[in-house]
Order: sequence, then C-alpha cells, then structure tokens
Amino acid sequence: MHSRLKLILTLMTLAATAGSFAQSESSQSADAREELKLAALEALITAPADRALPLVTRVLAGNNSDEVKSRALFILSQIDDPQAQTQLLDVARQSSGELREEAIRMIGIGGDPATLAQLTGLYTSGDAEVRDAVLEAYLIAGDSDAIFQIATAADNEEDFSAAVEMLAAMGANDELRMLREKVGLSESLIEAYAISGDIESLRALARDGSDPEQQENAIDGLMIAGDDEGLLQLYRATDDVELKRKLLEALSTTSSDTLLELIDEALADDQ
Amino acid sequence: MNDDTLILYYYDDGLTDEQRKQVESALAADSELAARFSALRKQLDAVAELEPLELPPHARQRMHDSIDRIARPVLADTRRPARTFSLMSFTWGAAVTAALAIGIGIGVFLSAPDVTPLAGSGDPFTRGMQVYLQDARREISTLPADATAERTRLIMRIVDQNRLFERAAEQNDSENLARVLRAFEPILLRLAAEDIAPDDAAALRAQLAFELGAMLTKLSRDSSKEIQTT
Repeated sequence: MHSRLKLILTLMTLAATAGSFAQSESSQSADAREELKLAALEALITAPADRALPLVTRVLAGNNSDEVKSRALFILSQIDDPQAQTQLLDVARQSSGELREEAIRMIGIGGDPATLAQLTGLYTSGDAEVRDAVLEAYLIAGDSDAIFQIATAADNEEDFSAAVEMLAAMGANDELRMLREKVGLSESLIEAYAISGDIESLRALARDGSDPEQQENAIDGLMIAGDDEGLLQLYRATDDVELKRKLLEALSTTSSDTLLELIDEALADDQ
Repeated sequence: MNDDTLILYYYDDGLTDEQRKQVESALAADSELAARFSALRKQLDAVAELEPLELPPHARQRMHDSIDRIARPVLADTRRPARTFSLMSFTWGAAVTAALAIGIGIGVFLSAPDVTPLAGSGDPFTRGMQVYLQDARREISTLPADATAERTRLIMRIVDQNRLFERAAEQNDSENLARVLRAFEPILLRLAAEDIAPDDAAALRAQLAFELGAMLTKLSRDSSKEIQTT
C-alpha cells in the first residue's frame, strides 16, 4: 500500500476509534476492531511527529487493551520529540505491571540520555520486576555506565549479580574490571569475566594461588570462555599436582587435541 | 563396583546374564551404590536426548551451558512471561556469528532466493536490513506452535541473525535501529524457553511481529524519502 494512503487510513481509523471502542455500535467483532487498531498503529510510524503524538496520546488515555497500549508505546519510542519521552516516563511512573515494564523498555529503545537517567530513580523505588526492566532498558540503550553505577550502589548480592551479569552480556570489560577495584572480587564477578570473555583477567586470577576457591572459579571461567590456550599455559607452568588435575579436568571440556597432548606428556613423565 | 559396569548395565550391553544379576543384587543391597547409579542414569538419559551438532568442542560446551539455562524454569509468575532471560546465550552465539563478516552476512541475505527486497529501497545496508526484518517476521509467524527443542533451535538461529544485523546497524551509525534490534533479543530468548505457556508465546510472537513490521514500514518510508531527495 502506498505510504500516503496508509497514513490517511491510519489517521482516519485512530481519530474515529481512539478512546470510545466500548460504546461502539459497529457490527465488527471486538477482535476485528483490535486488529484494526493494531494495524493503524503500525502504519502510524510513518506519520510526522506532530500528527502522530496526539493520536498515540489518545490511544494511551483511552479505554484500550494493554496490548494496544503497549504497541502505542513502541510507536512513541520512535517519535523524535521530547514530549514522547515525557509520556514514556509518565507511563513508567504511573502505570503498573506489564504496561509499566513496557514503558521502561521503550525508554531503553528511545535511547534519550536525559530520560534514561530518570530510570535510576525507578530502579531504586521499584520492585524486582521494575529493577529487571530498568537493567534491560540500559542494556538495550547500551548504557553500561548506568549499570556500573547500579552495581556499585547495590546493597545485596542478588542486585549486584543481576547488574554484573548484564554488564557481562554487554561485554563491558572495563566496567567489570573497575568493579573489582571498587567493591572487590566475588564469584559473580569471575563468572561475568567468563561470560564477557575477559580472558586476561581470568588468566591472572587463575595464576594466583593465594585463594584456592577463587583460583578454581577462575579456571572454571577460562573453561566457560573456551580459553584452552590459557589453561594449557597454566598447566605447563605449575608444579602443583592438584592444580594440574583441576586443569586437566577443565581442558577435557574444551579441546580434545590439547587434552591428548597433555595426557601424552603426563604419561611420558611417569616413564 | 565401578561406573563402567554400571554404564554397561544401563545400556544393557556387554554384560552376561550372571553379571547383570550381580549388579541387580548389588543395587538392591547397597543404597549408596543405588544412589550413584540413579545419578549416573540421569546423566545418561540427558546424553541420550542430545542431538548431534557440528560445532567445535568449545562452542558445543557453551551451547550446552546455554541450553541448560534456557531449559531452567524462568516463569516465576505464571500469568505472563517473566522478564528473566538467558544472559549466557548472548555469548555462545557469538562463537558462531563472529566468523561471519557483516558485509558477507548482508550479501547472503540479499542473494537468498526466497526473499524480496522492497521496491524503492536505498543503500545495501538498508536493503539488507529490510530483508532481514521481513524474513524474521515470516519465520516468527511460522514457528511451531508447541514449545519444542526444534522451535528453540529456530529461534536461536533468528537470535544469531539479529546479532549480525545489530552489529551492522552499529557500524552504519544507525543507533536507533541497533537499540530496537537489541530489544528484540530478550523477547526472543523468552520465546525460546521450552516451558513457556502457549498464551505467553502467542503474546510474545504478536509483539515481535508488530515491532518488526513497524520498523520495516519506517525503513521503507526513510529509504523512499532518501530516493525522492536525491
């Protein structure tokens, strides 16, 4: 369909239906009307901001399903206008449940720095679902600094781990290393190094035998990261038989060629 | 009694009738041995369910870690899909996608026989993105209705493609597009969970279909504007 025709249809549909579907005398079924609204919203993405914004506002204020309102939020995230960001923030603050979390997600998609900064307050006052949604929004926006701040401010292991995992998923190695300096090393941080593929940090930790548990976690991390080269170097560098055994176990899950080489070496040592 | 004997007993292979009876007697008399066999049986059952995959060993290990996490129940609230998703799966797919140069990836998309670039499309990046969005929407609409390992596999393939185009968007300074594609991934990962309720899966599919469609429409508008102004 030609985009202009599509736009006209959209504007006509939304103007005629937003806010008053419950009273409609239309012979169409509720499902069909819902479908029509969704199609109209999809096409609305081509409308200029000054035309689209009032229509989306009416949809959000009207007696529409959460599904229709969620789709309207997506359109709002694509409107290049500060008022759209304000509306998203209002819905995130004033709504509840799925709609509230969708609004938070859309703030992430919108990527406006000022609006994203407001999410920190929602994180602090929100429940677990809101906190997850805020972290996800920062992930979507690629705002690793905001997640770093959340991790440093975390007052419990669960929140800290969730933030650290999100940084790992983003491959935010610098922030993860700074966290070690700022709050100290932990199992969740070592796991994050593995997920983000920070082999350098893991190798350093695996070489450090001062804390056996930490060393073992680092070896597990190298295994998860698939760093058989690092494991192999460590195996050859150490004389600790117990450590060699752990490394051999780790290598058995990464590379069969390397493992065979080591088995061959171990057997040769016995001769 | 060592694990080798227990493994042979499990597979009903390589033991004489007399040896099998000895194992049965030992399992009945020794609770510790019975517990060990029970744990071993669970592992072997799990191994039997794995499908053979042509992947390097380290990638295979990562993939198994990922599947383990996806397979964990993530629906704390049964009324709707939980927001939790497998972060590990962000990394294992990279082992596959890292090998693909982005230009090649887009080229492959454009040369695929069953996809149609939209009329009036602009540069190769935009055309490749349009084809991807079209293709992803079609694939999501044709996913098996039941949550199965096959559906999970298909979705993870879309996740891989999505990552490829997200990186392409970043490299083409299309930050908005990159954010939208990044936002698809948690939804796809929730949809990939094998324990997701049918209603929840349908809701997520509808959401993805809408957002993919809207972005496709937006891209078409942008590229036709571009053509009109040149």
